[in-house]
Amino acid sequence: MAKVQGAIVVNTETCKGCEVCIPVCPENVISMSSEVNRKGYHYAYMSHPEACTGCTNCGIVCPDRAITVYRVKISE
Amino acid sequence: MSELKLMKGNEALAEAAIRAGVDAYFGYPITPQSEVIEYLMTEQPEKRTGMVVLQAESEIAAINMVYGAASTGKKVMTSSSSPGISLKLEGISYLAGAELPAVIVNVVRGGPGLGTIQPSQADYFQSVKGGGHGDYKLYVLAPASVQEMSDFVADAFEIAFKYRAPVLILSDGLIGQMMEKVHLRDPKARMKNEEIIAKYGSWATTGKKGRERNIITSLDLQSEKMEARVHRLQKKYRKMEQEDLRFEKIQCDDAEYLIVAYGSSARISQKAVELAREKGLKVGLLRPITLFPYPKKELFELADQVKGILSVELNAGQMVEDVRLSVEHKIPVEHFGRTGGIIHTPEEVLEALEQKIIKDGSIRHHKTRESSIL
Repeated sequence: MAKVQGAIVVNTETCKGCEVCIPVCPENVISMSSEVNRKGYHYAYMSHPEACTGCTNCGIVCPDRAITVYRVKISE
Repeated sequence: MSELKLMKGNEALAEAAIRAGVDAYFGYPITPQSEVIEYLMTEQPEKRTGMVVLQAESEIAAINMVYGAASTGKKVMTSSSSPGISLKLEGISYLAGAELPAVIVNVVRGGPGLGTIQPSQADYFQSVKGGGHGDYKLYVLAPASVQEMSDFVADAFEIAFKYRAPVLILSDGLIGQMMEKVHLRDPKARMKNEEIIAKYGSWATTGKKGRERNIITSLDLQSEKMEARVHRLQKKYRKMEQEDLRFEKIQCDDAEYLIVAYGSSARISQKAVELAREKGLKVGLLRPITLFPYPKKELFELADQVKGILSVELNAGQMVEDVRLSVEHKIPVEHFGRTGGIIHTPEEVLEALEQKIIKDGSIRHHKTRESSIL
């Protein structure tokens, strides 16, 4: 059976650190970076990339469209 | 027909400025307000309406550019966030003293000092109690949605020109950064000098050909004249209180307990009212839309109906003082609010209402003063 591995790319300059993406992630993949962007906001990043399923919850909920979700099929 | 869009509060305000026929914007970037100037720079309104957008070298320069442009009778605005507004206050006092119309936008962040870039409502005192020096007041509008961020720009200019006085739009980092749908008003062309004179009278420095010269100044070294000026300003403020007070009552008709909140806190409290009603608690919400003038009379009257009032603000207790003054200690008034950029949840607001007001509803005013800070 094909397994899906997901990954997100956060547009760090658009992210305003509202943290809406964190509770909607079923795998707790996302955390807030200790670094800040040009405006001073802590942006979201993948703290547990291996657990991402590419469900797109974070991408859908992001009010600033800052998250792009990628999915790759891994055949076993 | 109005146009429906999904926008950030700051962007909606900037777009509304172009559509309201504003002549000039002078600003300086600061989080969480930077989208205003960013949007205006990207939109290039000089091509759409001829509006001037300029990034000044500092906040102080920006407000003095506003002073200069407003003297010519044009619609001018500036925006900043808390530390930047502190810098602008000298200019704002001069605008009020010289009786110039202008719109200033404050997208409040946490303070004091450099503070934080997260939302706050800690600039209430600064906004309604003067802020700058001298006997002046600002007409203060507090938007609670992206829609109001857009609508209040044109409304603010109406008031500014009606009274020849600076108007403040007191938003915050939450409303400014929030994305919501917004009905944008139809674009209006910028007004020509002749139209301005016909509508608002000839007071500006538009060129004195064929008339006596107009002088724009806030300086009067003759005490009698200066006192007359101060009285004239105070007369305006009384007129604002009579004619242009704005507030919203939500589920107040049968309320036994009342929440008073403005801006983003009002949005959160509205949800808290819903949660309370689900529990069978009769809670209402009074949302002042103008913070000066303040709905004193309405609060005084509501105090006969409700058992207690909770003032919900994103600060350590500022508007609560005006609520207490308004109800004249008829009933207990308490404060609840998170600070430092933390936003209270509707559940926290309800819990505070239950603990501070509903439980202690029987305790009268002599005990209510101590526990106002969280």
